[in-house]
Amino acid sequence: MDIDDFGPKEPTCRMLEANDKRAYFIVRDWNLETANSLRRVMLAEVPTLAIDTVEVLDNTSVLADEFIAHRLGLIPLIAEDVDKLIDFRDCDCEDSRCDNCSVTLRLKAKCTGNDVMKVYARDMVIESMPPSDKLGQPVITDAEGNGSCIVKLRKGQAIDMRCIAKKGIAKEHAKWAPSAAIGFEYDPANKLHHLDLWYEGDDPKKEWPVDETRVDLDGGPEKTDEPFNYDAVPERFFFDVETVGGLSPDSIVNNGIKVLQQKLASVIKELTGVDEASAGLDGAQSPTMDGGFGNDGYGNDGGYTTPGYGGANAYAGGTTPYGATPYGGAPGW
Amino acid sequence: MEGSKILCNAKLINDNPNTQGRDYVKQKTHAEENLPDRFELFILDEGQQKIEVREETKVPNTTVFTFNKEDHTLGNLISQRLLKYDYITFSAYKVPHPLFATFELRVTTDGSITPKDAVVRCCKDVIQDLSKVSMSFQGEWLNQKIIEEGQRDAEVRDQGNY
Ligand SMILES: [Zn+2]
Repeated sequence: MDIDDFGPKEPTCRMLEANDKRAYFIVRDWNLETANSLRRVMLAEVPTLAIDTVEVLDNTSVLADEFIAHRLGLIPLIAEDVDKLIDFRDCDCEDSRCDNCSVTLRLKAKCTGNDVMKVYARDMVIESMPPSDKLGQPVITDAEGNGSCIVKLRKGQAIDMRCIAKKGIAKEHAKWAPSAAIGFEYDPANKLHHLDLWYEGDDPKKEWPVDETRVDLDGGPEKTDEPFNYDAVPERFFFDVETVGGLSPDSIVNNGIKVLQQKLASVIKELTGVDEASAGLDGAQSPTMDGGFGNDGYGNDGGYTTPGYGGANAYAGGTTPYGATPYGGAPGW
Repeated sequence: MEGSKILCNAKLINDNPNTQGRDYVKQKTHAEENLPDRFELFILDEGQQKIEVREETKVPNTTVFTFNKEDHTLGNLISQRLLKYDYITFSAYKVPHPLFATFELRVTTDGSITPKDAVVRCCKDVIQDLSKVSMSFQGEWLNQKIIEEGQRDAEVRDQGNY
């Protein structure tokens, strides 16, 4: 898996870990600016679902209304199909709470017994008719199947709240963040000398632990007998995407790429006046796209395609295997 | 920071003897009044353009693009990527003030292409690169997922044998 020296290099991924919580992978033959932009987009601009308005019908618990509302906002909700919701700011409905732009959950609980009662995320029930069944359910990952604890109630106390969940991005509020954490690193052996390690003794190498596994994956440790290459740039990137639960890790990455592509497409549209995305709807769908990775199954829903520049683009490394560039499908972001 | 807006349903609350006298839509506090809405970071103001293009008259083949409601994600990406093309002689961006979601991208070319076309071409190339990463990622994800699920199944089977 080392360098192939013929032809222009194309970015490729290598997956190290893939499960319900985590996508740990390397992208090689890429560049720092695009890798970092993808990281930023996955942190702050991938749309998810979170409770944004709370109607308090009853609250006799010891916690204040706004305190509980804040807790409700932070509860992760399944957002696999958020693309099917429109942005509530673009919706024509009154109070922005129709089935096209929101999911309504009801939290209703009363303590009647003598023991303290805990109210959990699992007690929230979807009241509205969401456009998909993969939308709005509270995320539950614990073995008991409870989800997050919201309040505790004593005998006679009750809460009843109507929670309106909307699509949003973490740039507005962290409750919409799809990822709990994103690890991002290049050059773990510090061969490029981008890091100047702080040390107390006489040798930083003695004081800083080395991640041997990562160094091996990145072409081994620094060769001290060779002269330093001043032209070397980072081209291998470690991504470690951990989900909060609303989106699967691969969806975060796929949607992140899609959002970034849409961002760039909007720049093209703004500067040229040509809407590349809608121009693609006329039927320039790339045939190899469907054959290879299909119109989907995993994320890239029926991407729009850009006609024209795909096949003959000499700049991004010659002809691409698939004639045109798929943009992300869904409208909105 | 508030997690979600609160509305109280006055009637229902008043019907409940346990909860008296609460009839409000949450008012902004003094501090919140001065706080800009967070969506101003990514939603264009009334009548605002996404990109303002200004030709630099003092230097040939130079344009300053002002991107509104964008940040380093796009600024660093485009300005750095542009530097890789032979016909670019200058490319950089700046965020004039950290409180305003805007950046200025200044591009100079050697004259064989206009700065605007250079930016457009750059964006198209990045879109293509991202598509390649996406393809590769999806294939790798599926492979690895199958491998890990196979391993888990094998472990379950092994435990059953004991
Ligand atoms: Zn609506």
